[in-house]
Amino acid sequence: MNRSYREYCQAIVRKLAIYLAFFCLLFWVGFPVYYMLITSFMNSRELGAKPPNWIPTQPTIENYREVVMGETAIRGAHSSHGEFSRMMPALLNSAFVSVAVVFSNLIIGGMAAYAFSRFDFRLSRIVYLGVLMTRVLPALSLIVPLFIILRRLALINTLWALVLTYTIFILPLTIWILREYFDTLARDIEEMALIDGATRWQAFRMVVAPLAVPGLIAVGVMSFMEAWSEFFFALTLTNSLTYPPLLMSYRNLAQVNWNGLAAATTIGVLPPVTVAFVFQRYLVRGLSEGAVKG
Amino acid sequence: MASPQLGKAAAKQRRHWDRKWIPYALLAPALITIFVIILSPLATTIYYSFSNIDLIRDRTTFVGLDNYVELFGSRLFWKAVEVNLKFAAIVVTVPTLIGLFFALLLVENFTGRSIGRTLLILPWALPWIVVGLLWNWVVNAQFGALNGLLYSLGLIEKYIPFMADEDLALIFTALASAWRQTSFSAILLLAALQTIPEDLYDAAKVDGAGMRARFRFITFAWLRPTLTIVLLYNVVLGFLQFDAVWIMTQGGPGDATMLISVLLYRYTFINFDLGMGAAVSNVLGLITMGVGLIFVRLIYRSQATYA
Repeated sequence: MNRSYREYCQAIVRKLAIYLAFFCLLFWVGFPVYYMLITSFMNSRELGAKPPNWIPTQPTIENYREVVMGETAIRGAHSSHGEFSRMMPALLNSAFVSVAVVFSNLIIGGMAAYAFSRFDFRLSRIVYLGVLMTRVLPALSLIVPLFIILRRLALINTLWALVLTYTIFILPLTIWILREYFDTLARDIEEMALIDGATRWQAFRMVVAPLAVPGLIAVGVMSFMEAWSEFFFALTLTNSLTYPPLLMSYRNLAQVNWNGLAAATTIGVLPPVTVAFVFQRYLVRGLSEGAVKG
Repeated sequence: MASPQLGKAAAKQRRHWDRKWIPYALLAPALITIFVIILSPLATTIYYSFSNIDLIRDRTTFVGLDNYVELFGSRLFWKAVEVNLKFAAIVVTVPTLIGLFFALLLVENFTGRSIGRTLLILPWALPWIVVGLLWNWVVNAQFGALNGLLYSLGLIEKYIPFMADEDLALIFTALASAWRQTSFSAILLLAALQTIPEDLYDAAKVDGAGMRARFRFITFAWLRPTLTIVLLYNVVLGFLQFDAVWIMTQGGPGDATMLISVLLYRYTFINFDLGMGAAVSNVLGLITMGVGLIFVRLIYRSQATYA
């Protein structure tokens, strides 16, 4: 009797502790994001309210309209100088670059990972380690020589400069994760296919590739996110052609239209956030396998 | 049934023939591009760091260790190191601790857990530049969320310009980075927690182990390899962060948030002193490569244990 009462109390305390912690999680993650969201639905007058209206009293989608239509928003002191006209093209550019990076990365990285996984060739271990080490190089430090090389290739201020650099900087991670996958995939099935007279390509296409789909999705999603988010190369190698550096350039305007900026930010994070939520399972798996195993 | 021995021998022979060129062909695109885009710029940066580059007269002169001597003798560099160490201290501890806390929460069974797990991914899905922008809104002096919250709760009389204060500016830029990195850390730790076999706990309970003992000897012991990796990732971020700090403060006020990466940007793109910029790059690169080496060694050790 006494014991069960104690257990009952313990269960209550446990529940309370869990929901308190859960509230902390919601607040920690939600507070900054929620504030940006309500700002994007406010007009500039309401933004100055003190204390702030935690729920917009006159919600408006005007900010979103301005960004999507690329309009000059002149409202009193807040003027965005028509800068929003570059937003939708930048989002399209970001989409193009990100999708191109996903495919080039999967093809080039997949080939290399397969080579590391299935063949034992000279120097394979040292080359593998070398490839992995490039991952911790500060990308920032390579920018000047990189700029010179890309200028020689006539790629400066083109989207291809970004496709190329992003692909290469994500390659080590891709090779790492995919090699793991290929290593765990039943080698004997592949060998059997080879014995049955399949060529290596056929064995890869019919046996290995279908089994590796989860790994390929995880890697694809991660490279999409990285490409969508990259700021520094897009700023220095192109004239802010993609979304992140363009966002930065609005931030630096003398008279920032904060509400419009909030709307632009929200629109621009929808693709990566959607991708992350939809592919949550693959992403978590890819992340943890890429980070923890090796 | 045809002799399997024979089939195997034939296959072996073909694979032997394969071996000669297929792996090299498969690796070629990756290795060539890595060479052109990463290794050759790296070599150039190392060379630059021993040179004085006159952009106007387009002349490069070899100056030996002069850049490094100047760098290590400059007040600015040591200020950046100091700032960066403080920044890294926050970016290493906060995400690791809060991430562990969230991971331990989200492995429990309760209504709302799947919402929690989904929300946890959100910060990680945001570009660094957006993270910086979000925190700009949090700390803004005119309409910031934090000021609004403190004011609504009656804790302050008037809004505080947080980012005008040097210490607070450093703390908040570090917190912004920690915010996103917390999600990453928690995701990794949660994934590791989910692999703990339930019977370990049952066995420990039978043996009379209390909650604290179970945490220490099962949960914590199981998490240790992952915790090490999380710590290393956070250290690397502490030294490589640029985007989020750049959009929030650009290194200011004064030099209060001037990380080594920000100093690198200043030398290269504001002073156009490529030699000095390259020297800073290499110092930064050595720090992160050092961490990376520990990383690779750990991985190889763990592989050896499980193999």
